[in-house]
Amino acid sequence: MNKVRKLGLSLLNSLLPVLCAFAIGAVIILIIGQNPLTTYWIMIKNTLFTWKGFMKTLHYASPLILTGLAIAITFKANIFNMGVEGQLLGGAFASCIIGFSLKSMNPTAHVIICLLSGIIVGMLFALVPAILKAYFHVNEMVVTLMLNYAIAKILQVLASTVFRDKAAGYVATSPIESSAMFNRIGGTSITLFFPITIVVFIAMYFVFKKSRLGYEITAIGRNTEFAEASGMNVRRKIIYMMLISGALSGLAGAGFMMSEKFKYTLDFSGSPGLGWDGMLIALLGGHDPIGILIAAVFYSALKTGSDSIGIFANVPKEIVAVIQGLMILFLSIRFIDQRTKVFENFKTRFISKKAQTEEVQ
Amino acid sequence: MNIIETVNITKKYGDFVANDAINLAVSEGEIKAIVGENGAGKTTLMNMLYGLIAPTSGKLLVGGKEVKFSSPLDAINSGLGMVHQHFKLVPSLTVCENILLGIEVLKNKTPFIDAKKQYEKVQAVVDKFKFDLNVRDRVEDISIGQKQRVEIMKMLYRNVNILILDEPTAVLTPQEVDELTISLKELKAQGKTIIIITHKLGEVMQLSDSVTIIKRGKVVGEVKTKDTNERKLAQMMVGRDVVLSVKKEEIDNSGNPVVYKLENISTKNIFGKEVLSDINLEVKEGEVLGIAGVEGNGQSELLKVVTGLMTTTKGNITLNGKEITNWWPANIRDAGVGMIHEDRYAQGLCQNMTIKENMIAGYHYCGDVCSRGFLRSQVISKKRDRLIKDYDIRVADAEGEVSQLSGGNAQKIIIAREFDSKPKVLIAAQPTRGVDVGSIEFIHNKILDLRKQGVGVLLISSELSEIMSLSDRIAVMYKGKIIGVVNQKDTSTTELGLLMAGITDKGGKQE
Repeated sequence: MNKVRKLGLSLLNSLLPVLCAFAIGAVIILIIGQNPLTTYWIMIKNTLFTWKGFMKTLHYASPLILTGLAIAITFKANIFNMGVEGQLLGGAFASCIIGFSLKSMNPTAHVIICLLSGIIVGMLFALVPAILKAYFHVNEMVVTLMLNYAIAKILQVLASTVFRDKAAGYVATSPIESSAMFNRIGGTSITLFFPITIVVFIAMYFVFKKSRLGYEITAIGRNTEFAEASGMNVRRKIIYMMLISGALSGLAGAGFMMSEKFKYTLDFSGSPGLGWDGMLIALLGGHDPIGILIAAVFYSALKTGSDSIGIFANVPKEIVAVIQGLMILFLSIRFIDQRTKVFENFKTRFISKKAQTEEVQ
Repeated sequence: MNIIETVNITKKYGDFVANDAINLAVSEGEIKAIVGENGAGKTTLMNMLYGLIAPTSGKLLVGGKEVKFSSPLDAINSGLGMVHQHFKLVPSLTVCENILLGIEVLKNKTPFIDAKKQYEKVQAVVDKFKFDLNVRDRVEDISIGQKQRVEIMKMLYRNVNILILDEPTAVLTPQEVDELTISLKELKAQGKTIIIITHKLGEVMQLSDSVTIIKRGKVVGEVKTKDTNERKLAQMMVGRDVVLSVKKEEIDNSGNPVVYKLENISTKNIFGKEVLSDINLEVKEGEVLGIAGVEGNGQSELLKVVTGLMTTTKGNITLNGKEITNWWPANIRDAGVGMIHEDRYAQGLCQNMTIKENMIAGYHYCGDVCSRGFLRSQVISKKRDRLIKDYDIRVADAEGEVSQLSGGNAQKIIIAREFDSKPKVLIAAQPTRGVDVGSIEFIHNKILDLRKQGVGVLLISSELSEIMSLSDRIAVMYKGKIIGVVNQKDTSTTELGLLMAGITDKGGKQE
C-alpha cells in the first residue's frame, strides 16, 4: 500500500510538470490559430507510433539515457557533477581523433578503441573536480560547471587549427574512418550504439538498486555523517561516483560521434546540449534508472518530433523548444511533497461531501 | 477549577490511533506532569492543545469554554504557550530581540524600533518572574539553560497563563535542571499553570502536583504526586514491574586479561586546541568501564577517536594486543569493536532509509549480506525479521523507513545491529538517551548480558545513575583528562560529583 502510494506520488511529481508545459504550449498554439491537439498528434505520431520513427527516437535517446544516468549517480549522493556536457564533448572529440587517425583497422577493434578512448577522456575530465572535491574541499559544482566552458573552448581551438579539415567550409575535424562507424541496422536509424546503451543501462540499474556502491551512494546522499560513522570512505566514494559519471558521459559522446555525427563540429552536442538535456531527464525521471529510461525516450520523441511539426503543421517547430523550457521551469517546482496527502484530502473531501448531501436528503 | 480540559479527544492517522478518547483535566495554578513511554502519544496530545494538529474528534475546553485552534497563534491568544524541546531562537540576535520577534515595540507613529523601550519592557517581565537573564546578551553566547529561559520568557511576554514544556530537561545539565525547577516553582507561585511532558520520573516527583500517565494513546492513570512514587509510576507507564536499577551480577573480573587498551591518547580539534591529553584506559574481558563527566569535557572527542572518526596526535589503541589506532571505522568494526554512537540520528541511523538498510549499516561489506559487491536482499530481510523479533522492536511497517519509529525502537535497531555482530569490545555512548523506561531496562540488561559473555564494554554516559548501575570501574573525565579511576563498589555519587567538578581528594581544584 505504502509502496504503491509512494510510486503514485513520484509519478505525479514527474507527470505534472510535463502536463503543465504541454498545457501552456497548447495556449500558445491556440494564439497562433492552430489546433493544439492536431499539432501534438503530428509530433508524437511519427516519433512513437511508426516503426521507423520509433527507431529514430530510440537512436536519439541513447546518449540521453547515458547522460541522464551520469547526472543521477552523482546527484543521488548530493555530489553535483554539472560537467557532464564537457565530459561528453571531451569523450566525443577523443573518439573522433582516434576514429580518423587510425587507418585501415579491423572494424571491431577500431570501434572498441574509439569507445574506450571516449570513456577514458570522460573519466579524466571528471577526475579533476573529484580529486579537488575529495581532498581539497573545493566545491565540485563550480569546478565542473566552469570546466565545461574551458573544455568547449579548448576543443574549439583544436578543431579549428590542428585537427581542422581543410576541405570543409566550416569548422570541423575530418570525418572518422568507416571502420569506426556504427552501421545502421535494418534500414532504420538505429545502430549498435542503442544495444550497447541498454547493456550499460542494465548494469547501472543493478549498481543503483542492488549493489553495495548503490547503497553507499544513497547513504552518503541522505546523511553523510551516518555514512562516515558506518565506515564508508566518503572521499573514495566521491571519486568512484565521479569516475562512473565521467565514463558514462564519455561513452555518450563517443557513441553519438560514431553513430550520428562522424566528425566534431562546434554544434556537435546541439542546443542546449546533450549533457544539459541529461540533467532535465534525470530530474524528470526522479533519479531512478527506470524513470530515466522513460524520460529519455519521451524527451527524444519531443526532439525528433519537432521536425515533423515544421513539415506537417503550420506551427513553427520552435514550439518544442518552448515546451522544453517550460518543462525545466515546472520541474524546479516540487508539486507534491512526500507529506502531502493528495489522496487523503481527496478522500475526506469526497466522503464529507457525500455525508453532507446525505444529511440534506 | 479546570483551566484546560479535553473531552474524549482523539487523533487518528489512518488506522493508527495516536490518542484514543483522552480526558485530561488540568486545574489552575498546578504543575501537571504528563508521562509515558516514547510513542505513547504525549506529543500528539500536546500538539493538539497547541493548535499544531487538529483532533479527529473530541472537544477542547480552555477556561470552561470550548475552543478550536487552527494554529499556534490561536492557542497563544487563548493564553496557551509551548516551549519545544528544540529551541527556535535566532542566535545572532539578543535575548530581548528574540523575545520580541514579531511584536517589536515601535517609536510613536514611525516604522522604527524603539530599542530603549524594548529593553525596559522585557527587563520588567524578567524581573517580575525573577529569571536569571541578561536581556542584552546575544543568544549565541548564552548557555542552553538560559536559552530555554528565553523560550519561556517569549511565552510569558505574550501573557500566556498556561505553559506547556516538552521534555524540558532533556538538554540540561543537572545544575540547570535545579535552576529550571526554581523558575517553574516561581511561575507557579505567580499563578501560572504549567504542563510538562517528560519521561524522567525523578523530575516528575520533584516538580509536579499531579501526574497523568499515558500508555499507547490512552490515559491509564491520574494521581496526585504526593500519593505515588517512582516505582508505581514506572509500573503504570510500562504496565509491568520495571527494575529501575538493573541487577548486576557480581563477577570477579579483576584477573581477566585486558582486551582493549588506550595508551597516552591525545588529540587536537580543528582549532588546534588539545581536547584529549594522555588518556590511559584499560578494559578487561567481561568488564564494564564507565566514563563519567560533565558533558563537554572530552567524552565526545574520545568517542570519535575510538570509533575512527577523528585521528589521534599521539598514543596507541590496542585490541587484544593488536594496534588499531586511527583505523578506518569499517576496519575497527571488522576487528571486533561494536559501536553505539551518541547521536543516533546523526551517526547511528539514517532516518530516511529503510529499517532493512539501517540494519546492515557498517556491516554491509561483511560476508553474509554482500557477495561480489552486490547486496543479498533476501538474506538481509531475514536478518531484519530475526532482529526485530529478538530485540522486540515495535515497527508498524517492517519495509518502512526508520523515521516512523519512536526513539526507543530506533535505538534498539542500533543495539540489535551492533550486538548481533558478536563484538569483542563494545563502545556504548549515551546508549539510553531520550529512551523510554521499558527500553532503558532492556538495553541495560543486554549490556550486562554482553558483560557476562566476557565482552569488554566502554560505557560513555552523562547519566550518573546509568554509570553507577552498570560499571565495574568508573573513570571520570575533566578537561580532556582522566582525573580519576574508581571502583564502583567503593565509590558514591558524591565522590563522583566532586571528581566531575575537577576536585580530587589530594586537595585543590585541578586546572
